[in-house]
Amino acid sequence: MLLSLLAALSVSLIAGCGTSVAVKGTLPTPVVRQIPLHVGVLYTSEFKEFLHTERVRERGTYKIDIGQQNYSFFQRLFEAMFVESREVSAPPLSSKDSKGLAGIIVPKITKYGFLSPHISGLKFYSASIQYHMTIYDMDGVPLAEWDVVGYGKTPSSSFGEGEALGEATMLAIRDGGARIAMETVEQPGVRKWLSSNGIGIESRAD
Amino acid sequence: MEGKLFLIRSLGGMACITMLSACVSSRIEENRQTVTGIEEGEALVILGRASYNELETEESFTNCMAKAMSRGDSPLALVTEKEFKDKLYPWFEPRTAPTSADDLTDLFARPGVAEQVSNTKVRYLAWIDGNTVTIDKGGSFSCTLSSFGGGCFGMSYWEEDASYQASIWDLKNLSTAGEISADANGTSYLAGLVVPIPIMARPGSAACKALAKQLKEFLIESPVES
Repeated sequence: MLLSLLAALSVSLIAGCGTSVAVKGTLPTPVVRQIPLHVGVLYTSEFKEFLHTERVRERGTYKIDIGQQNYSFFQRLFEAMFVESREVSAPPLSSKDSKGLAGIIVPKITKYGFLSPHISGLKFYSASIQYHMTIYDMDGVPLAEWDVVGYGKTPSSSFGEGEALGEATMLAIRDGGARIAMETVEQPGVRKWLSSNGIGIESRAD
Repeated sequence: MEGKLFLIRSLGGMACITMLSACVSSRIEENRQTVTGIEEGEALVILGRASYNELETEESFTNCMAKAMSRGDSPLALVTEKEFKDKLYPWFEPRTAPTSADDLTDLFARPGVAEQVSNTKVRYLAWIDGNTVTIDKGGSFSCTLSSFGGGCFGMSYWEEDASYQASIWDLKNLSTAGEISADANGTSYLAGLVVPIPIMARPGSAACKALAKQLKEFLIESPVES
């Protein structure tokens, strides 16, 4: 009886092992040329509540809560990039809801991954996050789409495991945001969309 | 009697300190390209070159440099790496930062960039590139513990090489002001005579202090006439 209880306790303890990662901190507002357009942004519940769960052998389950940080960062990112950005529902939008908008941006997290020193054998934690960006017209027709990958790493000696993974993830979001801020106007579909709204933007290569 | 005891203790302490720190040899080289000089109200920012492999400039090294530059004789005003990168986001991120001072003209032509740099009051930017690596190690060292007691025996050593370079950019003239490199090398020992006795060489710390001292002199003094 006692042995059975001990065995059950051991199993429940092993099953309970894991790492919960809260991605904390603040991200800066980008210094970029503002695009003179009003846009709507659709943040799906999947985007706002994105939670990465992964079971790693001998290490337990990792739960990394990325959604809230992404949501607040992207709000500030688009506010800095456009004259106005406001949250909208999924297209097609009514004429009242779409008044003044030139397009609807939908950011989506398509992949998230991390590496710890235990897995990679390296002395740092790293995280990568892939976004799929789409710009739609008011009827829900896609005008431009492209992928952006953000990468972050942090030394293993600086923090505990949860904190180090949170920091690496934060840096990955920051890196992804930098690419979006700098490269959105470089996308052929975006250039065409801007041009159709009477805006010509010089590319970085010009 | 008390005076003699104090003398013996002091000598013993000094011997211990000498024994516990191993020798480090260091070398500094400087290449100046323009006249420098830092006025009141102007600041310096020290940025570590980031990479996505294991051998990138350690944050502890740039922190050590920043501490050394802002203290001692003629302390300089410093803006922290985080504050500078946040204010200039996204232009000084690991994958977006300019790799040469030639890129500064284009960068400063972008809306808001020159104003933000002016707000930070940063006149000089020092990019620190390099790392400290273990180049050799050997020996044998072990510790045992039993019911009769325990102890450590043997001797192990490791040789470290610290190699760092500072590229100094003048953000007022949008040009390279010069480069300074610091190399330091030292061997640390761990001897086991029942108790473990570490004899540490700290080439990273030596390189930091040497590079910071030289960088401070480089920015304050202006030996080259324009």
